[in-house]
Amino acid sequence: MAKATPKNSFESSLQRLEKIVETLEEGNTTLDDSLTLYEEGVEISQACMEKLSQAELKLKRITKKLDGSFELFDEKLNENE
Amino acid sequence: MLNQTEGTNFHERRVFSVSELTRKIKSFLEPKFEDITVEGEISNFKRHTSGHLYFSLKDSGAQLSGVMWRSRNASLGFLPQDGMLVKARGNISLYEARGSYQLDCYELKLAGEGELQRAFEQLKQKLFSEGLFDENHKRKIPLYPERIGIVTSPTGAAIRDIVQIISRRFPSTEIILFPVLVQGENASKEIAQAIRDFNVFNKVDVLIVGRGGGSLEDLWAFNSEEVARAIYDSTIPIISAVGHEIDFTIADFVADLRAPTPSAAAELVVPNSIDVWNTLRTAIESSHRIILENIRNSFQQIHSSVRSYAFHRPFDTLRQYIQKLDEHQTTLQRMSEYSIQSTKNSLESLSLRLASLNPQAVLRRGYAIVSAKGKTVSSAQQLRKSDTAEVQFHNGKIFVEVVG
Repeated sequence: MAKATPKNSFESSLQRLEKIVETLEEGNTTLDDSLTLYEEGVEISQACMEKLSQAELKLKRITKKLDGSFELFDEKLNENE
Repeated sequence: MLNQTEGTNFHERRVFSVSELTRKIKSFLEPKFEDITVEGEISNFKRHTSGHLYFSLKDSGAQLSGVMWRSRNASLGFLPQDGMLVKARGNISLYEARGSYQLDCYELKLAGEGELQRAFEQLKQKLFSEGLFDENHKRKIPLYPERIGIVTSPTGAAIRDIVQIISRRFPSTEIILFPVLVQGENASKEIAQAIRDFNVFNKVDVLIVGRGGGSLEDLWAFNSEEVARAIYDSTIPIISAVGHEIDFTIADFVADLRAPTPSAAAELVVPNSIDVWNTLRTAIESSHRIILENIRNSFQQIHSSVRSYAFHRPFDTLRQYIQKLDEHQTTLQRMSEYSIQSTKNSLESLSLRLASLNPQAVLRRGYAIVSAKGKTVSSAQQLRKSDTAEVQFHNGKIFVEVVG
């Protein structure tokens, strides 16, 4: 058995969206239910699109302190190296 | 120098102290064997806790003690093992306290590619039979990682390539670099420790472990057993990215996914955000289309119900749907540059068409529906003088009597 990997929010959002479209396509829902699903779908895709429009990548450097805890610092790569 | 002239009395011979003699031998021997290279097989290899390495070099006929001080073995690209054929460079030195000579070694290399290959094959076979390359053990690489951990050198080309490609493909990612040495004797230890530390930290979705191309010796840290076991034990999925396309390391066999180069790892680890945009757009467009169809069908059902007069107050429900539809239109407009213009347009025209089908709108324009005895009157012939009928206006109904 492959080890299970916990899904992060972006991945599960997209999966939920896919499921919503599938359910709508099957056409077995009442108009009321399908509108509720549709609304949820719009909300999810808006959140995803917001995330996608984040323009700049974050680069951090991690170091381990003597007490075993971790610290993150902003990292800039020297382009001339 | 030794006075051994025939006939000299034993008691009259020059007598050395042990130290004196040893010093003489040392000063005679050492200058003759400076900076020499000797080839032999390693045996009795020992790493002292101080970090110094002790070993013997041997061939079929002789044996030579060797030592490599800690300060010198830091740049060693591999872990020496008994049976390895090596070329050792150094000076012969005499250790006075033991009266023995040894090779004070400052450079140790595996004797040729064949030997490296043999060490590689041995370890590969061992780890394979232990199940470290087992496909069933491999973890799934997440499709949309939000945080990516990288174990590589902070100054190498690898990290720059990875950052550049991920910035282009999926910029809403966070990259966390764990800087390590990627060659030299301590490299394996640092790489393995970084992998274990990331597992303790436990806040990244996937790890990329690697370095850019180099000689077989440069890549050797990724062929170590310690790195292999750290990768195997990791609960975070790992992509290996070592060297060039053609280089295969032990790390590649254990990793959950092998990328041929660090750049390729960056391409594999995140999707292209354009593709994700399209996925989202398609999802919204399809659900939009389906919803509009549903609403249109409902309109039609209501419309035919109204015509048949079996349905008395359909308009409340209808209005609710229209209102919801309006709300969605507003939501869609907020999707600014990424809004789905064409769908919005079709939604608008569809709304207009639906509104024109609305029977209430027809009544509002001055038309009325006449019915008598529960049936719609669609022809004058249906009514006679003094019959009563019901006239439905948009805002109510009246009863009339036919006068002629």
